[in-house]
Amino acid sequence: EKLPYAPTLARTPLGGLTTTSTFVLEQPRCVFTTLGDDAVIWLVVAIPEAVENFNNSVGPGTPERAFQGFPGSADAYMTLNTTILNYPCPKPPGEITVLRVGSETGCTKDERRPTCNGPLPGPGPYRVKFLALNGSEPVAETAWSEPITLRTARPLSSIPAMGSGHSAGMIALTAILSILFAILLASLVAVLVFWGSDAYGGSSTFSKPEAVTVRRYNTHHAYDQPAARL
Amino acid sequence: MAKSDDGIHILQGLLVFGNVVIGMCGIALTAECIFFVSDPHGLYPLLEATENDDIYAAAWIGIFVGFALFALSILGIIGVIKSNRTLLLVYIILMLITYAFEMASCITAATHRDFLTPNLFLKQMLERYNKLETVNNNDKWMTEGVTKTWDKLMLQNQCCGVRGPSDWQEYTSAFRSTHSDADFPWPRNCCVLDARGSPVNLDGCKLGVPGYYNSNGCYDAISGPMNTHAWGVAWFGFAILCWTFCVLLGTMFYWSRIEY
Repeated sequence: EKLPYAPTLARTPLGGLTTTSTFVLEQPRCVFTTLGDDAVIWLVVAIPEAVENFNNSVGPGTPERAFQGFPGSADAYMTLNTTILNYPCPKPPGEITVLRVGSETGCTKDERRPTCNGPLPGPGPYRVKFLALNGSEPVAETAWSEPITLRTARPLSSIPAMGSGHSAGMIALTAILSILFAILLASLVAVLVFWGSDAYGGSSTFSKPEAVTVRRYNTHHAYDQPAARL
Repeated sequence: MAKSDDGIHILQGLLVFGNVVIGMCGIALTAECIFFVSDPHGLYPLLEATENDDIYAAAWIGIFVGFALFALSILGIIGVIKSNRTLLLVYIILMLITYAFEMASCITAATHRDFLTPNLFLKQMLERYNKLETVNNNDKWMTEGVTKTWDKLMLQNQCCGVRGPSDWQEYTSAFRSTHSDADFPWPRNCCVLDARGSPVNLDGCKLGVPGYYNSNGCYDAISGPMNTHAWGVAWFGFAILCWTFCVLLGTMFYWSRIEY
């Protein structure tokens, strides 16, 4: 049975929606309505070229569907198997119901785990769909998603690290200080050369303030003079 | 005669006042530069790793210049009051030397501030954060400094990366070569951590759920203190130098009028 639903990336805003090796899908809630409790829902991740001739009967765990062979010897892999009980309907409001594809790093090279949910090997693009199997018989599937492309990391040498030009403030500061310093030096030279020499007298100079002494004046009073005459 | 005497007294008074202000500003400059050199925000390892920490050199010069200004202002006050030609000449020449040093400090601080762009810190963070193979002891020291500083920054300011956590996704880095993208889309310190230092919700952090990871960048937390530092040294020094310029011109004029 082919359902019209197509898997999409998670709708809530997430910082890690797509990284360089993982992406986050919306869970297929309220999609598989006629499924029994013992059917197993698988996620199929494929390269776009494998979509046209995809054979639903090739079971998970075979070498053609092993994660470790993707995308070289296996052009699709199946992972994230679960039953309908893990996708209850209706979805509770406010809950984030997502599937992170690529989160299992422990089994990337383990051939005994062909259904590993390992990190994607490259930026893609990839197309996914959900496939429900009863035993080994496909009973329901969704449509294929749009191509999902992951992020690519640019080399850090591409960051231009050289600073931009000088700011206006710095140029003004340098210019003004240089001019002031030049004026000071010029004034010092002028003062030393023209006014520093002894020869310049001039009425505008002032003398150092002398120590003020109190001089005692002899007061010549009239009564002293008779003493001098005597 | 009385009038020029009054004028000279006014000039003396102004020069003494000018020198008092220079002395106080000198002490303030020393205090400010000691504050900057003490690195209260712990950002010095980032500058050290750029191998161009001229802002700190400018602050060091500022400490000594401030102290010199204070000492010279006292000399200037004594020279003006005693109208001693020798003292004043010594004062003028030493002040010009101090002026030159302070000029160098201001221009260095202002120029070097323009050098500190977000891209510089981004490149440094990507190159050095958690880098494991270091070439020599110096490299190891700088790498450890950068790593510790970034860990502390991200923890204390609740931020991640220079512009945001996507920095770790958009570019390759030393961190990325040792930590897989699926397990560590961004460093652990970008997650909201509990009191014991472990993430509150690791899956939420890896997914990038708002509230479980820090989504804003750390550039503001870096550039804020650095701007204050650079502008504090550069523009306060500039203000002191403008005032000193006037006082020195007045002193030279006064010196030329002293009768030999």
